[in-house]
Amino acid sequence: MANLDDNELIARVAQGDQQAFLALYDRYASRIHALSVRILGDSMLAEEATQDTFLKLWSRARMYLPERGSLLLWLLTIARHTALDRLRLESRRPIVTETGDPEDAWPSIPDSDSLPEESRWRSLYFAVQSLHPDQRKVIELAYYQGLSQSEIAEVLGWPLGTVKTRLRAAMEHLRREWNET
Amino acid sequence: MVDDEHTSFRENIPAFALGALDVEDASALEAHLQTCASCRTELAAYRAVSDNLLIALPPQAPPASLRRELQSRLPGASKTAHARWTFSFGQLAFGIVLAALLILNLFSLLQLRSLQRQQAQLISQVQTDQMALAILSYPGTQTFSINGESVTGTILLNEDHNTAVLVAWDLPLLAENQIYQIWLVEPNGHRVSAGLFRPEIGKAYTTQIISAKEGFSGFTGIGVTVEPAGGSDQPTGSRVFKVDF
Repeated sequence: MANLDDNELIARVAQGDQQAFLALYDRYASRIHALSVRILGDSMLAEEATQDTFLKLWSRARMYLPERGSLLLWLLTIARHTALDRLRLESRRPIVTETGDPEDAWPSIPDSDSLPEESRWRSLYFAVQSLHPDQRKVIELAYYQGLSQSEIAEVLGWPLGTVKTRLRAAMEHLRREWNET
Repeated sequence: MVDDEHTSFRENIPAFALGALDVEDASALEAHLQTCASCRTELAAYRAVSDNLLIALPPQAPPASLRRELQSRLPGASKTAHARWTFSFGQLAFGIVLAALLILNLFSLLQLRSLQRQQAQLISQVQTDQMALAILSYPGTQTFSINGESVTGTILLNEDHNTAVLVAWDLPLLAENQIYQIWLVEPNGHRVSAGLFRPEIGKAYTTQIISAKEGFSGFTGIGVTVEPAGGSDQPTGSRVFKVDF
């Protein structure tokens, strides 16, 4: 089962094959869990979010369309929305920019053949870490906390223009790093 | 003016790719993207970054218990045939031990019931033998000899207690579908059943208590015949012996 590719496994999951589901869990649980921990910052909440993400995989397997992107990015997108929903629930923070079903907001994900290698992801991670602390703070609040620019300005006590400038500068830097690796 | 507007939208694209643009700005940008190819290209470039930020985190394995918990929560999971019939060695061993214990218990129960039956028979036999001794030692007891073709013995008759004891030696064992039946003989020759018995296997003599509610004075003798199992209303089988009082 473990030697089957993602598309074969997800097709089997859609038919109710539990072994195929567990093979996908074994393949991607550590990445889903890492993202859940990063967003929620609490191991127990992260475990629940990871579990919820895979339960959504089980129930929505038929909805996955390989031509729209890799299974890993589809799963991570679900995981991000699941964790952010939980974060809002825990902190009672009003929803500002994240709305609707995760699949509706599915970004255009590059196909699996063009996915960067592990080293590229690692370089991107280090690029985030090497950002100026103020820029990194804005990226983390926006992407891993789901805050809008206005909310970030409010949380950090910065002018909205400053937040916009720092976010834009950070993203330009990451884009250059991504394209160079 | 149009260039300024385009530049303003373009500056918002990185925040939009991260999902951090405020709702009104996001709606305006979405409308602009419908008509601006260069901004769509720009957005695709930034989305490549934001999408891969999801993967860029170092993997972190969840606890092993999460996998088991998740598996137990799957609704309507159809396990494969292989998984359905797979047993661990521990489960198999437990099953074998459980089956062995059940068999042992059943065997013990059967043995116990057999022993209880034997015990009841022994108690009954001892009581009969004690009764025979008591009757024999009673002053008014009469003794009648049994002289059949294949059986000898004695009938002890005590009319004061309306009781008689049959002690027969060397009674042949019978088939499963046969039984010995005792008859009290009336003066007109009519027979009244006084009980059924089988000789005990491995014992040379047989002792039976015979009771007559109305006393033995109304009878002229005692006889024994071989009858079908369950007994008969009147003698139908071969006579074993007959004793006249």
